[in-house]
Amino acid sequence: MSQLVQAEITDCREPAPGVWVTEFLAPSLAQAAMPGQFLHIRCGEGSDPLLRRPISIHSVDRLSGRMKIMFQVVGKGTAWLAGRRDGFLDIMGPLGRGFTVFTGEQASHNYNRFIVVGGGIGAAPLYFLLQEIARAGHAQRVKVLLGARNAHQLLIPDAAEELGFAVRVATDDGSAGHRGLVTDLLAEELQRKPDYVYACGPSPMLKVLCAMLNDAGVPGEVSVEERMACGVGACLSCVCRVKDANGMEIYRHACVDGPVFSAGEVIW
Amino acid sequence: MNMAVNLGGISMNNPVTTASGTFGFGLEYQPYVALQRLGAIIVKGTTLKPRLGNPPPRIAETPSGMLNAIGLQNPGVERVAEEIMPRLAALGVPVIVNIAGDTVEDYAQVARRLDSVPGVAGLEVNISCPNVKKGGIQFGSDPYTAAEVTRAVKASAGLPVIVKLSPNVTDLVTMAEAVAGAGADALSMINTLLGMAIDVDRRRPVLGNITGGLSGPAVRPVAVRAVWQVHRALPLLPILGMGGIMTARDALEFILAGATAVAVGTGNFVNPRATLDVVEGIEQYMIDHGFVDISELVGLAQRYPNKE
Repeated sequence: MSQLVQAEITDCREPAPGVWVTEFLAPSLAQAAMPGQFLHIRCGEGSDPLLRRPISIHSVDRLSGRMKIMFQVVGKGTAWLAGRRDGFLDIMGPLGRGFTVFTGEQASHNYNRFIVVGGGIGAAPLYFLLQEIARAGHAQRVKVLLGARNAHQLLIPDAAEELGFAVRVATDDGSAGHRGLVTDLLAEELQRKPDYVYACGPSPMLKVLCAMLNDAGVPGEVSVEERMACGVGACLSCVCRVKDANGMEIYRHACVDGPVFSAGEVIW
Repeated sequence: MNMAVNLGGISMNNPVTTASGTFGFGLEYQPYVALQRLGAIIVKGTTLKPRLGNPPPRIAETPSGMLNAIGLQNPGVERVAEEIMPRLAALGVPVIVNIAGDTVEDYAQVARRLDSVPGVAGLEVNISCPNVKKGGIQFGSDPYTAAEVTRAVKASAGLPVIVKLSPNVTDLVTMAEAVAGAGADALSMINTLLGMAIDVDRRRPVLGNITGGLSGPAVRPVAVRAVWQVHRALPLLPILGMGGIMTARDALEFILAGATAVAVGTGNFVNPRATLDVVEGIEQYMIDHGFVDISELVGLAQRYPNKE
């Protein structure tokens, strides 16, 4: 059940230019949160900016009750958020449907080899997913592919390695890893027939990725981003075009039906 | 202290309800709001057939406001009556269903279908949605057609009928008089203001529908003025005031201007508890200022010496 909490900020840092990580204390949210879900955060005290900002959950420490969000400063709301060094955040959450984390029998028999693909700030929610996969003891089954404009903008490669994951990186300018797109790396990995792919990143990347998965016949999940107002399915603004079970085009809502959708159902 | 009001035949325990389209079908906000404490719940615009709505992007944030172009996405009256109303009826709160249509006959049919559905306490007739090509605002910008829709709905259902007016007209009082003459039991005002935003970096409109309806604190002065003018012209017709209400003080502006009840809209998105904060804030205001019945406050600011 989602909640409305006042969470005390405990840390705030800028791991990459324009990208911020804010840590706060929210034990009840930390208990309830699942990877891929998001928090709806009030940015500012007045009416401009007016609407809350949906921000994915970056990491969770259930024992200490601390959580982190990682976000890029893109406008008034995120600029305000990046300026918070202490005090409290007004947070609704956890919201939305997150990634499917396979455990037990299912993980052992049907899904053995996973790929996690993050592009730019899209790596943010994937770290929480990696935390959960590592906690379930499956880190060695996963290949993590990360892409960014340059080496400075690469997020979470070291943290993912520390959790025990094999990581490959791609940068547009070649300043780290493969020179080119993260989907180039995915093309190589798809040759080895993985069982499942998780992805989050910019829409052009996800569009290419979904087409690649479709061609390769590999299932997966992608986390999408849409403009959102309420966060709870009341305003119907954050629509995403998807195919329903009969192949009909319908709108689903990123806030309650997503933000994570099956890679095969999204219409780009 | 008495907070109960009667909105054109709908008995409400307090004057606070939710603006259509901002509270879904009522249950979305259940984790945050004890729904039983609301004076009423006004649900999403309902049409005869299911509607898909407009293409995305459907919202844009503006200074102290937002533009929306949802386009009346809803599952259609049959599913609302069969699947949604039974769950809402169980709450024991008056539910007002906002209805819309492409033709006058559509409105009549939706009203007829909802007339005997348990839990439906009234109908809010949407003749003012700026985001649909047919129906919506075209009915709300001409006094003759507005009256025609009102008469058709009144003839089709025994329920109290609230007509929701658009601010996008030259003469709001004429519109109000037209629908009052056609039998409206109350008025809702205001619907959103037609607006637009352009993405300067991409040099194109932000919304998929190009234009949208502006709501939020930015529209409040327009809404308070609308309530003031119409209450002055038709002092006996109950008004449900809305437009940018975020706090109890905002709501009190509407009540003092002449609104019998108020609806919180965009404010729900910012503060999911906004409706209850408004209820509690009005109560506190009445205690602080020695009022014992909410009706004492309705239109009180109109007594200010008229210098017109």
